[in-house]
Amino acid sequence: MTAARPARDASADLRRRRQRQRFADDLARLAVGGMIGASIVFLLLPLAITLSMSFDARDYLGTFPPTELSLRWYEKFFSDPYLLKGLRTSLQLAALTALSATAIGLCAAVALERLPVRYAQLLIAVFLSPLIVPGVVIGFALLVFYARTGVDSTFARLLGGHVLITFPYAIRTVLAALGGIRPSLVEVAQSLGASPTRAFWSVTFPLARTGVAAGAIFAFVFSLDDVAVSIFLSDPDRYTLPVALVSMLHANFDLTIAAVAVLIVGSSIALMLLLDWVAGLDRVVGANYYRT
Amino acid sequence: MAQPVLELQHVSKRYGDKPAVRDVSFSVQSGQVLALLGPSGCGKTTTLRMIAGFVDPDEGSIEIGGRDMRDVRPHERNVGLVFQDYALFPHLTVEQNVAYGLRQRGGAKGAIAKRVREMLALVHLEGFGERRPVGLSGGQQQRVALARAMAVTPEVMLLDEPLSALDAKLRQELRFELKQILQAARCTTLIVTHDQEEAMSLADEIIVMDHGVVLQQGSAAAVYRTPRSRAVAEFIGRANWFEGRLGVELAAGLREFVTAEGSFVVPGGSAVEGTVLQVCVRPERLRIIAADPPSAERLNVVEGTLASAAYLGSEIHHVVVLATGRTIVCVEQNRDQALPAVGALLRLGFRPADCILTA
Repeated sequence: MTAARPARDASADLRRRRQRQRFADDLARLAVGGMIGASIVFLLLPLAITLSMSFDARDYLGTFPPTELSLRWYEKFFSDPYLLKGLRTSLQLAALTALSATAIGLCAAVALERLPVRYAQLLIAVFLSPLIVPGVVIGFALLVFYARTGVDSTFARLLGGHVLITFPYAIRTVLAALGGIRPSLVEVAQSLGASPTRAFWSVTFPLARTGVAAGAIFAFVFSLDDVAVSIFLSDPDRYTLPVALVSMLHANFDLTIAAVAVLIVGSSIALMLLLDWVAGLDRVVGANYYRT
Repeated sequence: MAQPVLELQHVSKRYGDKPAVRDVSFSVQSGQVLALLGPSGCGKTTTLRMIAGFVDPDEGSIEIGGRDMRDVRPHERNVGLVFQDYALFPHLTVEQNVAYGLRQRGGAKGAIAKRVREMLALVHLEGFGERRPVGLSGGQQQRVALARAMAVTPEVMLLDEPLSALDAKLRQELRFELKQILQAARCTTLIVTHDQEEAMSLADEIIVMDHGVVLQQGSAAAVYRTPRSRAVAEFIGRANWFEGRLGVELAAGLREFVTAEGSFVVPGGSAVEGTVLQVCVRPERLRIIAADPPSAERLNVVEGTLASAAYLGSEIHHVVVLATGRTIVCVEQNRDQALPAVGALLRLGFRPADCILTA
């Protein structure tokens, strides 16, 4: 029996250690949960306040719960020629940007797929670099560049800038889509008599279609959203909606901005849902990008 | 001999400074089924890709139907490819998959539809035309891939590990079916595989490759019975080995062979006395014998203790450790014989004719 005593001590010790461990685990779980909660509040609270402000009937920035609700700011937006002009430019720009960025992204991704991995990775880093350069820097650099090269059309200037900043998203999604296509499919197509070009259009492209569509939607949303680059490239006659809002913010602040913000956020959400429905968001952002 | 359909002459390929294929030559006659057999990385897949045109050989020539394939692109060659993953086009139906090659070649709609029906009948997939590949079983997908490749009547069919994506039981069934389909269509076929059973059961002739070199070419029986080297013997079937020196001639065509496990009688060779050689004995040629073997038969005998036994149903595998520490595997047919206990002393006998001498 005496031999069993140290064993019992050991098991009690083990139980105590296990309890301490559990307590630490619970604490960690609580901390992570708290952080997630805080982030959600931090991200969503401004949105919620904007939303409530956009329906506020008062003329000024009042205290939080609005005393009365109305649609007056939405009405004002839809009857304001200045803002509507910006909206039209923004939509035209976003559509054309989506088309161009996706086309260029598709070509670049196809070329990257065929390069040796080392060079491809280097080039991908270059292509994705607009993501890490601040928009203000891109906008200013483009302004100087356009002035020197004599690109006069404001719309062309804006389009160039928007393609530059949305192209990384297009290339990522197309690369992810191409990466999901087994090389053996294209090889079989060729062995059956399809030239590389025909194999591309009959096999590769149909299989990458959702990725390409996703890239286009991404480009559209980010183009619609941009302020930093557009503000450098707009002029009083040709400007995007976000730029119009910023200048309105300086001139005469009223809650139309909140209403427009809600509309932009709403349409972005709608497009993202469409994207998720078309392709699956996790796939679009490159879940199978790192294939083996 | 007739003009071979596929002929490789002194083909070599290196990746960087690593040779993948070295001086490979072989030919496939019309209607023949040939298997390239070897472990992964032996160069067999590179060889297949060179024939299909996806890889250019550094040296040597590849001829298909008497035509030199230098600078001929994959889509300009007339080969049928079946990949290990079948590579069916997921966005097309079974019918559209089979019709793909025919469409690339052009031709009347009616003729294409007729050919597609014929091919689906050949692979027993009538009524599957409207389906998508995703819903099909592995075996069905493989047959679609076969039909798609054969639809364009390729000069040569190339099958890359055609059965290894399937589980063991299905593999046996499909091996038989695949052989029938290939025979029915009289396809000239090259199969690339690492599975010796697949190669032996499907092919008229086997080419054993390792480290980018052809080790031996011959029928399954010839390669199994007279492997030219230890590598071939080990790759085709299982083998027990004894190292030793060749001794005196005992009788006409019989020589003494002296090993650490005792001296054996082996089929005579012309090599000089004292030559260091290896003797291979296939596991199924070893017999567990009684203490006093019948004297009429001239048997080589080794003794050892049974280390483990595996009862596999139709066969029983005995692992026997000899006094020298050498491990020997003996495979017996299951005839409901008494099973020796692990640790028992066993005598294993084998005939001189069962000894394969290799360098």
